[in-house]
Amino acid sequence: MPLFEEDPAHLSKSRLKSDLVAHSVALPPAQSKKDVYVELHLKHIDQKNAADFSSDEEDQVRDVADKEEDAEDAEIPDPSGLTDDDLKAALLEHGFKAGPIVASTRAVYEKKLRKLLQPDGQDHLNGAEKGVVYSDSEEEDEEEEEGSQGAKEETVERSDQTQQESSQLSQEPVKDTFKDMFPDTQATPTGIHATRRKPIKGAAGRPIQYVYPDTPASPTTQERRAVERRLVPIQIQILVFLIVVVLLYLIYACVEDNSFSPFVALLESLNQGSDGEEGLLLPAETQDTPALSGQE
Amino acid sequence: MSTTSQKHRDFVGEPMGDKPVTALSGIGEILGKKLEQQGFDKAFVVLGQFLLLKKDSEIFVEWLKDASGANSRQAGSCAQCLREWCDSFL
Repeated sequence: MPLFEEDPAHLSKSRLKSDLVAHSVALPPAQSKKDVYVELHLKHIDQKNAADFSSDEEDQVRDVADKEEDAEDAEIPDPSGLTDDDLKAALLEHGFKAGPIVASTRAVYEKKLRKLLQPDGQDHLNGAEKGVVYSDSEEEDEEEEEGSQGAKEETVERSDQTQQESSQLSQEPVKDTFKDMFPDTQATPTGIHATRRKPIKGAAGRPIQYVYPDTPASPTTQERRAVERRLVPIQIQILVFLIVVVLLYLIYACVEDNSFSPFVALLESLNQGSDGEEGLLLPAETQDTPALSGQE
Repeated sequence: MSTTSQKHRDFVGEPMGDKPVTALSGIGEILGKKLEQQGFDKAFVVLGQFLLLKKDSEIFVEWLKDASGANSRQAGSCAQCLREWCDSFL
């Protein structure tokens, strides 16, 4: 607690800087002029000292609130107060290469810097624009939230009614809301429901709610299963075998009838040939016989 | 922005010359009037602003929304047509 007040304007720039750091105040951009430091010093440190001296509790609370606001402000130095070069440097610090900052472009770059300084998107200035950009999801979310909150409030109100009136008519709506989600739970007058923890694996005698598929099979059994899947049932195998046998028999029968015929024909021709020789011999004999008969 | 309007094709298809600001895609009569009030009476003045902003469409859209009250679609359309014009003629 300093006993004497120093005019911050008389302090050196480095001293101001160190004071600001000591009071955990965000420093302005490096190129800022001394005036900026002095301003910050006056704003934060002197106010804090004043708060230290004051014994009024309420005043302190208000001061703390003020300080928080100031800290937020200090985090975001007003871009409009910067010079063109400072603005450009500040933008470059945030990784944005600004073009020439002239009268017509300055406003845009100031806005850009403000946006860059608040990457969380909690800025009320940019809120509307971001709302436009992300309108779809955000609005839906908000609506959903509002809806759920409304539902909660409704149920709370209704449960209050049940407490007050203790009639069954007002208990019905409470059931409506929760019966959908937890059909097993019973409506309580407070509207607070404790749901039993669901069993995980049916342990400790609880009913099995979810049966795991077969335990992972070993590679050999998997292979066997694959082979079995590929094979056809045994009845069809037998049937096909019988069909094949019948076909083979039929072919064999046909072949026996027809394709051996060349041999049969050959044999027959041989037989016929021998017959022919016999036929040729016979006339000779017949020729001989007349001669013989003539000789006789 | 995947499809382009006839106005966009007309603007991108030839040098802009002395076309009025309303020749820009996305800039109708009302937005054109607002821009004219601020001195952006010709398309090339808007092009100048676009070039000053280093052809950064995002920043240009922000500027156009502020300057003319255009919505995101209109500003985006204008930025796209200026960018394509620059690709062809600059």
